[in-house]
Amino acid sequence: MVLLPGKKRRTILAWSALVLGIGSPGTSTVAAPLSDAQKLGFFTDQVKPILESSCIKCHGGEKTKGGLLLINRESLLKGGDTGPAISTDAPSASLLLKAIGYGDIDLQMPPKEKLSNPQIAILTKWVGMGAPMTPLTATRPGGIAEVPTKRIVPQVNAESMKFWSFQPVKRSAIPVVQKSDWVKSPIDAFVLAKLEANHLTPAPPADKAVLLRRAYFDLTGLPPTPAETEAFLKDSASNAFEKIVDRLLASPRYGERWARHWLDVVRYADTNSFERDGLKPNAWRFRDYVIESFNQDKPYDQFVKEQVAGDELEPLTADGITATGFYRLGIWDDEPADRVQAHMDQFDDMVTTTGQAFLGLTVNCARCHDHKLDPIPQKDYYRMVSFFQGIRPYSNGENILTEIAPQDQLKAVQNDAKAIRRRKDELRQEIASIEKPVIAGLAHGESTLPSSRKGRQSALGPLVLKAIGEDPFRHYASLIKEFDELGARKSSVAMALSVKEVGPKPEPTFVMMRGNAHVPGDQVEPAFLSILNPPKAIVPTPKPGATSSGRRRVLAEWLASDRNPLVARVMMNRVFQHHFGRGIVRSPNDFGSLGDRPTHPELLDWLASELVAKGWKLKSMHRMLMLSNTYQMSSTAEPTALAKDPQNDLLWRFDMRRLEAEEVRDSILAVDGRLNLEMGGPGVFPIIPKEVLAGQSVPGAGWGSSTPQEQSRRSVYIHQKRSLVVPILASLDAADNDTTCPARFTTTQSTQALGMLNSDFTNGEAKAFAARLRKEAGENLEDQVRLALRLALCHEPRKDDVARGVKFANDLEKDLKVAPEVALNQFCLLVLNLNEFVYLD
Amino acid sequence: MSNGSNQFCGRTRREFLWQMGGGFMGLGLTAMLSADGFLASQARAADGMTAFANPLAPRKPMFAPKAKSVIFLYMYGGPSQVDTFDYKPKLYELDGQTIPVKTKGRGGEKNEGRVVGPKWKFKQYGQCGKYVSDLFPNVATCVDDIAFIHSMTADSPIHGSAMLQMNTGKILSGSPCLGSWINYGLGSVNENLPGFVVMLDPKGGPISGAKNWSSGYMPATYQGTILRSNGAPILDLQPPEGVSRDMQRKLLDSLGDYNAAHHATRVDNSNLAARIASYELAYKMQSSAPVATDIDGEPEATKELYGLNQKRTQNFGRQCLMARRLVQRGVRFVQIYSGGAHNDDNWDAHGDLEKNHNFHAGNTDLPIAGLLKDLKRTGLLDETLVIWGGEFGRQPTAEYAKGTGRDHNSYGFTMWMAGGGIKGGVSVGETDELGAIAVVDRFHVRNLHATVLQQLGVDPNKLSYFYSGLDQKLVGVEGADPIQKIIA
Repeated sequence: MVLLPGKKRRTILAWSALVLGIGSPGTSTVAAPLSDAQKLGFFTDQVKPILESSCIKCHGGEKTKGGLLLINRESLLKGGDTGPAISTDAPSASLLLKAIGYGDIDLQMPPKEKLSNPQIAILTKWVGMGAPMTPLTATRPGGIAEVPTKRIVPQVNAESMKFWSFQPVKRSAIPVVQKSDWVKSPIDAFVLAKLEANHLTPAPPADKAVLLRRAYFDLTGLPPTPAETEAFLKDSASNAFEKIVDRLLASPRYGERWARHWLDVVRYADTNSFERDGLKPNAWRFRDYVIESFNQDKPYDQFVKEQVAGDELEPLTADGITATGFYRLGIWDDEPADRVQAHMDQFDDMVTTTGQAFLGLTVNCARCHDHKLDPIPQKDYYRMVSFFQGIRPYSNGENILTEIAPQDQLKAVQNDAKAIRRRKDELRQEIASIEKPVIAGLAHGESTLPSSRKGRQSALGPLVLKAIGEDPFRHYASLIKEFDELGARKSSVAMALSVKEVGPKPEPTFVMMRGNAHVPGDQVEPAFLSILNPPKAIVPTPKPGATSSGRRRVLAEWLASDRNPLVARVMMNRVFQHHFGRGIVRSPNDFGSLGDRPTHPELLDWLASELVAKGWKLKSMHRMLMLSNTYQMSSTAEPTALAKDPQNDLLWRFDMRRLEAEEVRDSILAVDGRLNLEMGGPGVFPIIPKEVLAGQSVPGAGWGSSTPQEQSRRSVYIHQKRSLVVPILASLDAADNDTTCPARFTTTQSTQALGMLNSDFTNGEAKAFAARLRKEAGENLEDQVRLALRLALCHEPRKDDVARGVKFANDLEKDLKVAPEVALNQFCLLVLNLNEFVYLD
Repeated sequence: MSNGSNQFCGRTRREFLWQMGGGFMGLGLTAMLSADGFLASQARAADGMTAFANPLAPRKPMFAPKAKSVIFLYMYGGPSQVDTFDYKPKLYELDGQTIPVKTKGRGGEKNEGRVVGPKWKFKQYGQCGKYVSDLFPNVATCVDDIAFIHSMTADSPIHGSAMLQMNTGKILSGSPCLGSWINYGLGSVNENLPGFVVMLDPKGGPISGAKNWSSGYMPATYQGTILRSNGAPILDLQPPEGVSRDMQRKLLDSLGDYNAAHHATRVDNSNLAARIASYELAYKMQSSAPVATDIDGEPEATKELYGLNQKRTQNFGRQCLMARRLVQRGVRFVQIYSGGAHNDDNWDAHGDLEKNHNFHAGNTDLPIAGLLKDLKRTGLLDETLVIWGGEFGRQPTAEYAKGTGRDHNSYGFTMWMAGGGIKGGVSVGETDELGAIAVVDRFHVRNLHATVLQQLGVDPNKLSYFYSGLDQKLVGVEGADPIQKIIA
């Protein structure tokens, strides 16, 4: 019991008096039954003022917190999320009295402050009477809204199903256009039809060098080398560009670039955020899995299935297990204030990501109530949760790790380990038998020798040699060598960050009222989003010995099916987005009513159906998009079109874009010659300035060190610590990975300029760039400048640009007495800062 | 809400908001756009003649603001309310007694505990007669300018999530900070300085590091910038050794020529112009930022006021004085951490309460009072909102069988505000007799945030940002009222 403040204790007497009805206003006789009119009088005089001053602001209809209205007797009896507010059978056990009594720290009303004891006494008496009341109406001062009679949220019905993205994908006929010679691919026909309808003409083709640079960045995130540019410019074959596209699609760089887009969408990170921001063990295997999947041109339906239910697919593969790391990439508070709620937060992270990444729907908005703008009932949210219900909560350790070697390999590894142990025992014995007499001959036996293994060995070696002679010693040395090698051999099995379920039978799933994890409502079973008019979700009975419920496999098969209207559309939109700078739907994670409408709906559907027809293979789709005239247009503005369609909704030209953070960093390393193209493995740690580390509670904690070579690897391989991001990436709008990121920002601000001009990173790379120039272009300044521009800008430099660079370096030397070497460094720094370097035409 | 993608100028909504200098989502977007001429200006921007549109350009508040800037003195770790500003005489009597009391902290939920009597005496100060403990004798002299909120509550008694809530309103990682919201809503009036500045304790950063000044799902434009009190104040502000300002000027001139030539055939792309301008701004920032933070030229008397002449108060004093110079120059939001790293390096007094609080209060009391007095005498206090407090308070009982250490307490704790249209000499809300739980006029962190936005002329229930299918708000979808009782 909490000690009552003095003031409250003093009022206890008056409080008791009230409860007993002694001398309270409005009653004339002690304990005599009241007439109905008297009861209503008591309500009007005593109760109503309390409700009006302390309750109806949140429970009056304008707001209905906790689902509870307190405006008429029916609403009290109906109650809110946690049940009826009053009980007529046992008035003293009424929830309303419990709440105002403040006895339960989690249910205290009004939240701002406990009512006074006389007020509590009045309400207690009133509830005891059966809560007689006249309805409170909107005409009262204090602003009670009318009782909402109907919820105005979109319903699942024939009408709402007509919304464009819920409709099945419809493959339209390829439009007939006037300027048919421009049509190189069906894509062009769809685009041109719209342009012609709006009396616009497509921009002329881009310059060859421009097109090449565009293709390189789009597919690999890296610039072409001068040799590659030169070869392409010289190639006059009609399929010259086609060859380039095919070569780039076959390059491992393609997977690295496109994996980055997907990693943004699935909130990939190597750590958990929050206080400890701890390591997600082996998360990098998921990153490598994504890169590898793109490089192998894994069909997208398979890619979806593996991430959603790779552990439930047959045959079970290492890829399948690794892919389910998808569920484990989110933020995780290892010390939540409310564990029950935190467990639901994990499901919310899964629903949010699954909904937006695969379906382009904000299913997450239906956690607390029916979605307010899309026809997604709250029940559908929890039905989706029920697919995930069996997933063991995130924890450090075994809940999140699975061995990924196939069974036979696992067995081999175990046998191997056994064999190693056996052999080591043999070796140990044989070595000891040789050493024993030698040691026995020492003045103080074993204690004469150093204790460290290495020290002991080097002290003992010469003595053994002396004792047994050269040939036997050779044998002895080989034994030692074998023993050491066996010791260093890793016999552990590779593990992947992955899903694990509690077993074949998960706990039941309930709708959580208002999203409150402590207030379960109706029980729900796995089912797909009703607005998509889906088949019934039938979960087969798990086989004996099954370790999971099999529910996610059912979800996966529905997601990755051509009958699902969204999955192919959403993915094709992403592919389009990363080629054209924006999706056909500009809100790639939201195909609902708050999202943008497609600028070219027929094209999107045509592409989606084509994706399915091509066996869900993305490479063929990249190829088709890039070989269109639409992709190959110039980005130059034409005044009439610009005036008519400034945002290029109709695709009358190609949109310029700034390179993304990783592209900028990787390009810097590529042009200065330091880029290390090694693939895969645990994340690397570029140096982060100590000023930035100082922001951590333990500076440097969780940030390892890598060799300079490792630090020069592509940005996709950088360790992604949620609370510590490499400055150049952070400042150039790398994704915030706490939640799914559908599209990068492109901010321009002066702190970026400071980082690009003054950071250790860009200055260090500028020096490396200058060194490369001196090596490859010799000592002539003009040659150095020309090579720098050629490397950075991917075309033969304009005369003016070369002259300007030479003048800059000369001026530094002449006017400011700067050494030639430093002047070249500065020129290199300048080149890395050029708009032309970080923008793509 | 409008549906046509044209309304969003062909960008995703997130992009649209920052690029258009948003801050008015949820106010009837189209109407706002027409009223502000944003749609028209966007058409002009396409002609390539429009100059750099600073994403932090100042924006009109929704109504007349009382405050222009905020200085948040963040007592990281959680100072004990009953040992500082929440006077509980009863606790002295109960010292050492085990009594029933419901608590929840790092050590879990408990129903009884051994009372640790306050280790400092309280005296009355000022016209208002406010009781303040001997931990803050200097702040005590300013009580007539301060509004104390004794009934603060938060959702978590664990540092990680509670810190995130005090800074972002949410206990989960990923949302923008208070300073981000303010810069998003109001922009910054000084383009040569960051709009959201964070200064750290010399002991280190707070737990979760950069998450405490992250812009979350908003663009990086709105994230906090760390400002150091020694050396170059901002990361990469100055060129590396061996590069003079003259060299850099030449580089920028030549870079400008290259970029102008490149832009000439792409005049419709205003982002290119913006990037050109950003380099000039950066150059200006190199000279203006050090001036803003250079306190050497301040009169000796001012330095003394902030405790710069005493070793233990020197650091926090420098930071407070820098904060004044920053808000004077239009920086919107300055946050200074008292306490860093872990355990007793901050206010997290689990072990020896006296040692811990004497240390941290002793380092900050004089500088805080100096700041308040200096702001007042320069007239800046009228437009500067000062906030004091941590992510939660502490329990009246001992955490362990022995010793004076107190565990965390989010059921009730004290924060205070001063200036920026806040009443002085008032106290609102009460905890119970033990100081264990707020019982009168309870306020949530959301109410504190709502008060800050309100004073800045922004309706906390209308300032929203569209993300993940929802108009997100600092005060959450359910909204929160400002603390009217402390608003003048």
